Amino acid sequence: MAVATAAPNTTAANVEPVGDRSAAWRRRLAFTILIAYALLMFVPFAWTVVTSFKTQPDALNLSWIPNPFTTEGWETAFNRLDPTLPRLFFNSALIATAVTLSNVALGSMAGYAFARLRFPGREVLFVLVLATLMIPDQLRLVPVYILLNNVVDLVNSGPTNYLSVIVVLAIQAESVFLLRQYFLTIPRDLEEAAKIDGAGFFTTFARVILPLASPAIAAVAILQFQGSWNNFFWPLVLLQERSHWTLPLGLAQFRFQYFTNWPALMAVVVMATLPILVLYLFFQRYFVAGVAASGVKG
Amino acid sequence: MLAGFALIALPMFFFLTLKIGAIIYATFISFFQWGLRGARDVKGLENYQRLLSDPIFHKAIANTLYYAVVWVPLTMALGLFLAVIVNQKIRGQTFFRASFYFPSIASSAAITVLWIFLFQPDGLFNDVRAALGLNPLFELFGLGPKHAWISTSNTALNTIIALNVWTTSGTFMLFYLAYLQTISKDVYEAAAIDGAGAWQTFWKITFPLLKPGHYFVATVAFIGAFQMFDQAYIGGGADGTPNNSLTTIVLYLYRKAIADFDFGYAAAVGVVLFLIIMAVTLIQRRLFGQTPGWY
Repeated sequence: MAVATAAPNTTAANVEPVGDRSAAWRRRLAFTILIAYALLMFVPFAWTVVTSFKTQPDALNLSWIPNPFTTEGWETAFNRLDPTLPRLFFNSALIATAVTLSNVALGSMAGYAFARLRFPGREVLFVLVLATLMIPDQLRLVPVYILLNNVVDLVNSGPTNYLSVIVVLAIQAESVFLLRQYFLTIPRDLEEAAKIDGAGFFTTFARVILPLASPAIAAVAILQFQGSWNNFFWPLVLLQERSHWTLPLGLAQFRFQYFTNWPALMAVVVMATLPILVLYLFFQRYFVAGVAASGVKG
Repeated sequence: MLAGFALIALPMFFFLTLKIGAIIYATFISFFQWGLRGARDVKGLENYQRLLSDPIFHKAIANTLYYAVVWVPLTMALGLFLAVIVNQKIRGQTFFRASFYFPSIASSAAITVLWIFLFQPDGLFNDVRAALGLNPLFELFGLGPKHAWISTSNTALNTIIALNVWTTSGTFMLFYLAYLQTISKDVYEAAAIDGAGAWQTFWKITFPLLKPGHYFVATVAFIGAFQMFDQAYIGGGADGTPNNSLTTIVLYLYRKAIADFDFGYAAAVGVVLFLIIMAVTLIQRRLFGQTPGWY
């Protein structure tokens, strides 16, 4: 693939066994379609940024240059959002970080056990884990709400409220599956060599296996961080206090309250999208690696 | 063996309580009248009988099925189309792939608010179609130049469908790309020697050989379609405004549970949704006659 991407159009065309000209023509058509579709991807986001610097009446004009240029929208977003934008940011980051760590830890444990260790009931348990991929997440709403509210009292107004969302997202079948598949590709010789060197089971797991699995761990971490940063459903259901809200919740509430203040709304949209965009620019290949094991967002 | 149990115990605890146990518990709850304080009354199948005569639930089912039937094929077709094009030897392939995938990973809340802005009466979409002179075409469908797409009941759901086709086609493109790369080059060479054109090659070779890909993408797509919630909630709130046109099954489940605390009834809604998904998955398995990957 990499070679094909790097090859200039002309050499690629020479490889084609049939009609050079029709192949070149086809490639040009494909290129045009790609450019047009890429515009369809970029224009809405660019429009968001432009609008966030417009005045409210100007936001309704079809113009790419704010007239006058203003930061009113951003000021409204920073001053009127309740809880404040930094607070929403902090809450989102706190929950996403905890969910990521938990998925990496629990996912590696389960993934390794399913890939390498022998114990009774292994196949049945693995099938059960995979079966959860077919169950829509929100079906758990009623039982999870009752369990977390009545049994362990996490749906409250104190700081333990954060735990409710973290616990619900603590381990996803995708994480287990992705890590298990990767552990299966690690040669057994390495574990045996460690054993001969006198390393115990847990030392081998922590010092030999986990470092080798770092690409898969990175993919799981990226996938889960992005997933819980964007998660809307569970925070909406479980976070009681406004001060615990995450960015998506704050944004939704802001939309219902200030539904015509487009510059301010677009400023919040930019703030909610930016961290994921930065993450994507740096770790693009892990996003792509993770996607095969992920589902579709609802 | 001990090591196995030691590693699996904690993750399995979460799966068995909050996932598998939760589904069994939900089924149990659906046979009761159940409020915030717990079970109040055994109802047997009464919650299910109530569902049969609940017009809003019927509306939710109709909306969700309509969404699935329209959204799944559109998104699959667009995803496949993009995958085939991106898979050509083209300059900037990586760039195109990356940009088409981006809307899939952006926050659903942010993207829905952005979409609502684009489709509001004075929004970019109405401006652009006016500028392109397309308004007579829209008039044919009774859509005026300042149509409020998201707050009019006959276009609200379609506007959300357009949004999700736009965002999710990038994900399906990546799925299809993975499957496209499993097709051997020899097949294409043989087709080229036989003088098959691009169109013929696609329909006679690529499309049928992608069968496992279609199965995987369709399964993931239908499960995703039946879960649609975020966009509907941000578009029309818990009431599915306007006029329940955005009430999906999951939105109704949420409304019954969190707004009304009618847990027994909400659990019954969930069980019915589960049964629908099982039925669709079994039908798909029949159609495709195989079970590749983890489904």
